[in-house]
Amino acid sequence: MVGTKRKHIDDDEEEHLTPKRLQAQPLQEDESADDVPEIHTPSRRGRNGPVAGNGTPRSILKKTNLFNGINGTTTPKSNRKLVFDTPTKSPDENISNGTPTIVRNADRSARRKSNRRLFERTLNGVDSDDEVLEEDEALAEQILSDDEEFEERTPHKEKAPEAQIPVPETPSKRGRGRPRKAVAKPSTTGRPRGRPRKIREPTPPEVTTLPAHEEYFWQNRPGGNQTSTNTLSSHSLLNHDEYFQAIQSVAENHKSERDFLLELHRRAFDQWIFELGEGFNICLYGYGSKRSLTESFTAHLYEHLAGKAPYKGTRKRPAITVINGYSPGITIKDILSIVASTAIPSSTKMPNQPTSLLQFILEHLTAHPPSHPIPIILNSIDSIHLRKSPTPMMLASLVSHPSINLVCTADTPNFPLLWDVGLSAQYNFLFHDATTFAPYESEIDVVESVNELLGRSGRRIGGRDGIGFVLRSLPENARSLFRILVTEQLGLMFMDGDADEDQDDVTATPRSKSNPARNSSESSQGVEYRVLYHKAVEDFVCSSEVGFRTLLKEFHDHQMVESRKDAMGTERLWVPFRQEELEALAEELSGDAF
Amino acid sequence: MEIEHQRCYIYSPAEESDRPAKRQRTGQSSPDAALSKRLQTFRQLWQKQESLVQATLEEADSATQRNIIDFISASKDDALDHRAIPAGLIVAGPSIASHGPFFERLGRRIEKETRSSYLVLTSGESPNLKTLLKNLIKKATSRAENEDEDEESGRPTSTRNGPKILDFDLAHLHDWQEKNQASNIIVAIQDSEAFDAVVLVELIELLYSWSDRIPFILLFGIATSAESFEDRLSAKLPRYLDGQKFDVTQSDEIIERLFAATIAGYDTPLRMGSNLCRRILDRQKDHVQNVQEFSNGLKYAYMSHLYASPPSIFLSEELPFAQVPPSALEAVRIVPSFRRWVELLLKDRKTQEVRDLLDSDEHLFNRTQEHVKAGQKKLNAISDAIRIVSSIRDSLQMSPRVTLASLWIRAANGELIDSPLLRETMLSAKKVSSDKIGRILASLATLSSQGRCPIDMAFYEQGFAQLISNNTDSTPLRTQHDVRNESLRTTVVAQKVLLSKHKAALSEQDRAYSDLVGKFNDELEQYLKQTLIDPREMFLSEILLYDLKSPHTEVFQPKPRFAIERALASPHDYLGCECCGGDAALSATQPPTSILYQLYLESGSLINVSDLWQAFNAIVGGGEEDEEREVHTKALFQRGLAELKHLGMVRSSRKKTDHVAKMMWKGL
Repeated sequence: MVGTKRKHIDDDEEEHLTPKRLQAQPLQEDESADDVPEIHTPSRRGRNGPVAGNGTPRSILKKTNLFNGINGTTTPKSNRKLVFDTPTKSPDENISNGTPTIVRNADRSARRKSNRRLFERTLNGVDSDDEVLEEDEALAEQILSDDEEFEERTPHKEKAPEAQIPVPETPSKRGRGRPRKAVAKPSTTGRPRGRPRKIREPTPPEVTTLPAHEEYFWQNRPGGNQTSTNTLSSHSLLNHDEYFQAIQSVAENHKSERDFLLELHRRAFDQWIFELGEGFNICLYGYGSKRSLTESFTAHLYEHLAGKAPYKGTRKRPAITVINGYSPGITIKDILSIVASTAIPSSTKMPNQPTSLLQFILEHLTAHPPSHPIPIILNSIDSIHLRKSPTPMMLASLVSHPSINLVCTADTPNFPLLWDVGLSAQYNFLFHDATTFAPYESEIDVVESVNELLGRSGRRIGGRDGIGFVLRSLPENARSLFRILVTEQLGLMFMDGDADEDQDDVTATPRSKSNPARNSSESSQGVEYRVLYHKAVEDFVCSSEVGFRTLLKEFHDHQMVESRKDAMGTERLWVPFRQEELEALAEELSGDAF
Repeated sequence: MEIEHQRCYIYSPAEESDRPAKRQRTGQSSPDAALSKRLQTFRQLWQKQESLVQATLEEADSATQRNIIDFISASKDDALDHRAIPAGLIVAGPSIASHGPFFERLGRRIEKETRSSYLVLTSGESPNLKTLLKNLIKKATSRAENEDEDEESGRPTSTRNGPKILDFDLAHLHDWQEKNQASNIIVAIQDSEAFDAVVLVELIELLYSWSDRIPFILLFGIATSAESFEDRLSAKLPRYLDGQKFDVTQSDEIIERLFAATIAGYDTPLRMGSNLCRRILDRQKDHVQNVQEFSNGLKYAYMSHLYASPPSIFLSEELPFAQVPPSALEAVRIVPSFRRWVELLLKDRKTQEVRDLLDSDEHLFNRTQEHVKAGQKKLNAISDAIRIVSSIRDSLQMSPRVTLASLWIRAANGELIDSPLLRETMLSAKKVSSDKIGRILASLATLSSQGRCPIDMAFYEQGFAQLISNNTDSTPLRTQHDVRNESLRTTVVAQKVLLSKHKAALSEQDRAYSDLVGKFNDELEQYLKQTLIDPREMFLSEILLYDLKSPHTEVFQPKPRFAIERALASPHDYLGCECCGGDAALSATQPPTSILYQLYLESGSLINVSDLWQAFNAIVGGGEEDEEREVHTKALFQRGLAELKHLGMVRSSRKKTDHVAKMMWKGL
């Protein structure tokens, strides 16, 4: 079979000898190349190839053919080797030449192959767009056509194990999953009409007990991650008002258990005070908002301090600084100023720069140590607002001072990774598990963060209506620019979408098509800044980049446009809406509804 | 604005304070009194340990510091011209965390002993030359302000008749140095590896150009090696520098010394058990390599013991009976070693004693005090014994080198006495020849003179000295166990080859020597056997030996990710509720986020949120067509999703509409 294949390829070469084709072919043949004793350095071949192409392609080709006839394997290979450095292959060739790889794969895992075939039969007809799937399908075809007897044998052999595999019946599984069409379309012979959707391999019961790393590989196996194309309808997410209304009337379960957890943590308060007194800082971690816990600890600490030496019997009260690290826009300067305000008499003139302020505080504390260490309560030390250098460094050097006590909470699971050895030595933390199961009420803006997660931050300005509102108040040029942007973005989406849909019809070239399509959908998110600018200039929307920027800024200010640098460093802009909404927008814009 | 959305604020209590309740709680104060007594004891005990730690640290550094100070004082006599800047390359080892404290101690000493000004720069505050210089000048001059406060604050921004000087101009430093008469300005680059090489090069060139006016000395902290430091500088730089290398005692060696001084120290009232020691040392080796952390770990062990264990009150040196609450004595009656002891007494038919122990608090108190003292003596003896073993091994230069720490870990487990290690040591000691025994005797004699070795070393020293002086031969005296006194003899008997060992006849002197060594060894072995008991078997070992891994591990090496995953995956573990107990994976009663998380666990790396919602609704919403209920479920779903995002478990994905990417796999 290999022999015929090669001949076929040679014929091919003879007909259209373009360098590109030459390059494309050898890829598939590399395994047969291995056993050819003759060794050519790629560089030499690289030189040879073009020369041959430029000079007298035909004659050279004939020569190779001649060689081929005489010598069997040597010559075609030398031509083919060229291919190694250019992985690009044209789709058509892929198909015709693709078989050897597949054959190899098929032979390697006959069992897997037959398994898959079975599934294909029982559940198929729903198309999906994963390339691996197509590979499998091709593989199945290969089996079907190539060894008939295998086909006959498999059902008996493999059916029993399959029958044992329970169809997932828990509501969770049924509900969440890939709603699979129950139409079992027997595709006994030939190729199935639709592409069979890749079925999740039967979840063996062991999966729940797989060790963690195995589970990782299981869930990341190639082609194992098929999801449905279901989308949330626009009203299935609540907006702020609806959310707060709903969440307030929800009866929280486990109220008493959560109170009990809090009570357990409260019993440790005296211990924590003791630990603080011995020069350690405290970090609380665990699931659930710890804000109410730190609040009651603050109260406890306040009582404790107020009942002691410098305050007892006086009107002076201890000053405990509380910092909400999760609040947006917080900076190290806020923290330092408030600490300075408690540590240093207000008459002193303090430096303005955070670094010098820090230095100043530390020197002051060393020179005039306070009667007790200054307590700082910091909620969410790992919040993104406090992660950026140099904030952790400055914070660490502040709290490493013996006259400062820090009690902080950390929400994320991997927060210790934020600090290197030096920093964690400075922080000098004792860690306590303070799981509370309390909702992160003030830490998270639920609605906003879900919208962001699903790429719907456009809802922030009140959806399409909001955009219309803004656009109406903007000059004509701005509206035109926005229209161009929306149209361009839609155009890109359609191109992606078309590519996806096309695949289903062009059954002949399933695998190669899907690849570029997918790539484009990942990389072409949004419109390139330059492209948009040129379009805008062409349409006389603006005449200079400054003008263009001014128009864009207005959009940015109203959060109608988002921008990001892609992997290549090009700036891309997009309107944060989903396709349907964009379409409606485009319609309104062109219909001059605004 | 409500406080939870304020960035920072000063706490002020709500109006109705619950002070009466608080007072009530302190009213029943007998446990509190005992606690404060224990904490007072803790402070006493720890103070001693801490001073040991400090002394050890100072001692470890002092030689290096001395050298550096000599280097600094030596270089100040030079006349000011364009000389190469003296540069100390301080190879401080790979544990970056200990560099900071080292440079701090060094600075204190330099400023005390020389009239130099010492300025430390770290990489963090020196991203570029300009910032570096600003910081440098600020550090120097701000200190001056502290010294003479009469002067108008703020640096002079212009020289008398020159133009305004920018704040990163070294002229400030020059002015300041002349005014303060500092003999040298020492610039310490604490973490030279972390500096941008370009910045370093520029800095050195600049300082060199000023070196005819300002007497600079540079100190570089180096974590790798002086060679690799040199490689980072450009080729012409070395001629601007007049370098000298200083090696700092490496942190693992300091840790070893600290261990010897504290846990295996001479008269330590409270000792650490083997599990805890192993944990502390492993953590040092694998994670932190920081001397301060070692001392913190030890401190926390002391804290935990005295805070949480009522009988630990007996560690107090002055303890009148009145100060011991009955609860502490009751606790003594509960500890397992008390039970063992009582059973032992009953076996000896001392029933009256047992009755007294159980009935009379005062009797128990007296007995406990006696036993605490006796137990401490036994533990001290163990620590002495391992020192003897260690010094014998050192004198014989046996390999592998066994640290005092690992000896203590074995001894605290009661394993040392039967260990191959000890057997090997004793065997080597048995066949030691007369030229080497001197070293053993000398080192043991030192211990003996400190009262740390009960063997009468004077007797043996005398005996051996006599034997050796009588030995006119050039070869040293050998014992009968020495292999060199054996030879192999081959005989052929009935066509079979027989190998037999043959002891060479010992000379008269050798025999006398051999006897004495044997005697010495017997006595040593006897002593070790008596001393190296299993301390955990001792009565009241619970008071004297702290070996709990529980608070220590969690507090220093937390597993926050594990905790969060556990809370979400099996909330029952934390909540202990009746509704969602058992092994049933998913139930509608679980906290909503936890249900969502478990669905999340089942899915692949890309998750369709719409399907996720369907599944969630099926469980939480019960799948009913109740509109109000569905809105609630939606709210819970949204909240759960937002929480997962907050925890970093999902991220938005642009691959498909309404999909999110899974970021964490449980248990990895």
